[in-house]
Amino acid sequence: MNIHTYEKVWLAASMVLIVGFIATITYGAVGPGVSMISDDGGSIDPSEINDDERFEETGVTHVGGNEYEVAVLAQAWSYSPDEIEVPAGSEVTFYVTSPDVTHSFSVVGTNVNTMVVPGQVSEMTVEFDEPGEYGILCNEYCGEYHHTMEGTLSVVPEDEFDLTELSVEAPGEVESGNETTINATVSDGMQTDLETTATLEIGGEQYDEDVTIDGAGSESVEFAVDADQLGEGDHDWTVTVDGEEESGTLSVVDGANDDSGDSDGGDDDA
Amino acid sequence: MRNAYVDQFPAEARVVKSAFWSSFLALAIGGIFGLVQALHRTDVLRFIDSTDYYTVLTAHGVLLAITFTIFFLVGIFTWAVTTSLDRGVVDIRFTWSWYVMMVTGTVLVAVAIFSGFLEEPPSILGSELYADVLFTFYSPLQAHPIFYIGLVLFVVGTWLAGFDWFRTWWAWRDENADERIPLPTFMVLTTTLFWYICTLGVALSILAFLLPWSLGIVDSVNPLLTRTLFWYFGHAVVYFWLMPTYVMWYIMLPKLSGGKLFSDPLARVVFVLFLLLSTPLGIHHQYLDPGIAEGYKFIAMTNTMFLLLPSLLTAFTVVASMEHGARQRGGEGYLGWLTALPWRDPVFTGMALAGLMFAAAGFSGMINAGMNINYLVHNTWWVVGHFHLTVGTAVALTFMAAAYWFIPQVTGKELWSRSVALGQVLLWFVGMTFMSNAMHRSGLFGMPRRTAEPQYQNFDFEPAVGTVAEMDAQVALGAVLLVVSLVLFLLNMVLTSFNGTSDSIPDNTYAGTLSGPEDAPEILDNLKLWTAIAVVLVIFAYTLPLASIVESGGLFGPGIDGRQLSLGADLEPALETLREVVA
Amino acid sequence: MSSATERETGDRAVESDSGDIGTVRELGHDEFDPIGTLILIAIYFAILVMLWLFMYFVEFLGNGPTVVGSLATVVGLA
Ligand code: HEM
Ligand SMILES: [Cu+2]
Ligand SMILES: [Cu+2]
Repeated sequence: MNIHTYEKVWLAASMVLIVGFIATITYGAVGPGVSMISDDGGSIDPSEINDDERFEETGVTHVGGNEYEVAVLAQAWSYSPDEIEVPAGSEVTFYVTSPDVTHSFSVVGTNVNTMVVPGQVSEMTVEFDEPGEYGILCNEYCGEYHHTMEGTLSVVPEDEFDLTELSVEAPGEVESGNETTINATVSDGMQTDLETTATLEIGGEQYDEDVTIDGAGSESVEFAVDADQLGEGDHDWTVTVDGEEESGTLSVVDGANDDSGDSDGGDDDA
Repeated sequence: MRNAYVDQFPAEARVVKSAFWSSFLALAIGGIFGLVQALHRTDVLRFIDSTDYYTVLTAHGVLLAITFTIFFLVGIFTWAVTTSLDRGVVDIRFTWSWYVMMVTGTVLVAVAIFSGFLEEPPSILGSELYADVLFTFYSPLQAHPIFYIGLVLFVVGTWLAGFDWFRTWWAWRDENADERIPLPTFMVLTTTLFWYICTLGVALSILAFLLPWSLGIVDSVNPLLTRTLFWYFGHAVVYFWLMPTYVMWYIMLPKLSGGKLFSDPLARVVFVLFLLLSTPLGIHHQYLDPGIAEGYKFIAMTNTMFLLLPSLLTAFTVVASMEHGARQRGGEGYLGWLTALPWRDPVFTGMALAGLMFAAAGFSGMINAGMNINYLVHNTWWVVGHFHLTVGTAVALTFMAAAYWFIPQVTGKELWSRSVALGQVLLWFVGMTFMSNAMHRSGLFGMPRRTAEPQYQNFDFEPAVGTVAEMDAQVALGAVLLVVSLVLFLLNMVLTSFNGTSDSIPDNTYAGTLSGPEDAPEILDNLKLWTAIAVVLVIFAYTLPLASIVESGGLFGPGIDGRQLSLGADLEPALETLREVVA
Repeated sequence: MSSATERETGDRAVESDSGDIGTVRELGHDEFDPIGTLILIAIYFAILVMLWLFMYFVEFLGNGPTVVGSLATVVGLA
């Protein structure tokens, strides 16, 4: 073979280039630790996604420490959940799968980007160091309304983040002269204990109850309400805890008039 | 005495001419659809429904990436084999039969795709025509069976074409036992061999899984498996488009520059490398797929990087051949010789500009290939920018430029206008510079590909440099220039065919070589050996990933139904989305 | 050694005749050093290397949150 010297030089330079590329990519994997989507997520039956414990409930769960898991269902043409919130300084593992066709789960302006193939679970771990707001979009064609498939991801400052949930049970009506209770159940989605304050606002007054909840547990808080103190009429109430809030209306009705309908009673008197 | 291709091989010239016209027709329709897409996405002009956008996009992808390229390819290859062996095909009826088969396949596919524009597509074989599945037809999106049948016919047509070229070579070999395979034929044969290897994947995917499933014979598929089989074919197909382009660069460009091919042996080495490496790296299209272990992705990445080698070598050889021509024409200096090149020749200039664009594409391709950096660009408009430089310019522009030489060769008619031709290739170059550059940049901030309305409700794109509006404007402007260029090309072709035959058609020849085949080791011509190694490499690269995909998802997947996700076919989720949009 | 490959000599430059610069000299393999090609390709090489480094280390690694593996956690702890 008759290869010109310059061509040999170029051949050598080309090999340097190729090896250099492979070296850079390898560095990316071991240095900054960029890791590829792989088969770690395992396979799944797309018609029985709920049977998989990771997808019993979609959304964010706390694993412990700064580790979180987010289960996402990508389907035509939305994400469930479509608003995701995680704290800054966290290490979040996403599990994404599809019950119908191939989608993607791509966090705009980041390197978080995966295909979502039915029958497979895309598992990826991401470190979110800084707070920020990101869009999520699907970049694989998935049917006529593919372009409407979007979501958001908020990385909030650590001290603004919680997984506290609130549910309130309150009667709709109480007779004057009686006492009743508004029951708030506060559950803590974090694995750590939660010390917080539940607040009831009613009739211009505010009642605070401190509550301590074990990690991943829940507690009930009882607010006693005295009908006479409120006086007859409708009273809006709001229970708040850690930014969660639930509200309703309590009607205080005349004790004698007790078989009128629950909701009209107040109006008649007014 | 005129000695054009049509004079030497009148029968073959008719087939080649038909193949070229089939390819131009696809280019015309596909190109106009490209403009529709560009204007729709950028919201410059929307005159189709966004739901029809995907019908347009399917047609654009299939007509351009498959029909336009491959019809042109079979024309060039038939020309290359007959010209370089200096003999006709063995049986012209056979040649026509594969051409007709490819046309039939294309028509079936087109019918399935274009029915997407109808309010109520007709039912055939028990189901409505439908093929809004894009050219990648990922399951569980399901097309109508005739879409798959059409694809199979088309591919089988190309298999027969390959057989035709081999057969012609065998006939020649019987008469020329001790001669080296002429370089153009060598290029055709090696390309055909890897085409056989890679199309097995897509044939298996369609015949064993997708077609029976669309006919209701089996009721489920494994989406990851059919996807992997598609990409087993899908990377090699890009080299299939590229090889006729390389043939042109190796055997026409040197001649057009007034010189000779720098090195025949290295050209052979390059084509052998393509035969060996084109297929065992398709997984690089699946870097972000779940269900494939990282190790396999790494192997695909290294193979891909080594496949840069033949293209880098080509860059040197082709430029050196041009330099040789320029210096023979009196070119001087370190770079001054560039001005001695025949820049006013549209055939030369078109191919040279195509080559320049390919150098740029080489860079964005290296990024795509870079495994972990693929997170940045995967399925963004970066990728679309990339392949409009490769197939959309390196290939398409070379073909158009080549047509200015070929059409006179196969018709005996003189080109209608060389200056319009020159303007046309320049305009394509300028238009593509705008469009593709803006597409690349859009990809970097996450602009998705394959999306009718990339304007979202709940967030905005944040380009680091420039604005979304400015990039959209460049895409729209580029697309308009491209389509003007396309119209000029077609006009030139049509008007040429109205010309009378001319005596001043140049002879049908190709470039000589500075270092000829006698410098190339005999072993390079041992096609059996290279094929065997290529098969072994494919087995190494694919056995384990395929086995693990089948093991985890089953051969036919866990009960996965076909989906045609439109409002009619799947009301529930669609309504849900609508409600969201309204709310 | 070029003599054996002269087969196509006759047709050289036939087609590229729109300019009137035809062949003014013959250059065989040994008389021809593609120095211009070497220069061009060296420039290309430099561009590739610079753009690669820019794309990898600035555009990619600077592009916010990235998928990391258990490997990173190990490195991070160390
Ligand atoms: C007339 C010039 C052209 C214009 C204006 C044009 C425009 C476009 C646009 C805007 C897209 C992006 C669609 C999206 O991501 O939503 C696209 C996709 C594409 N184009 Fe072109 N294009 C042109 C020529 C070509 C040529 C010549 C080829 C190939 C030979 C080609 C092959 C493709 C392919 C394969 C796709 C991807 C389809 C898919 O994602 O399924 N285009 N084109
Ligand atoms: Cu989608
Ligand atoms: Cu590829």
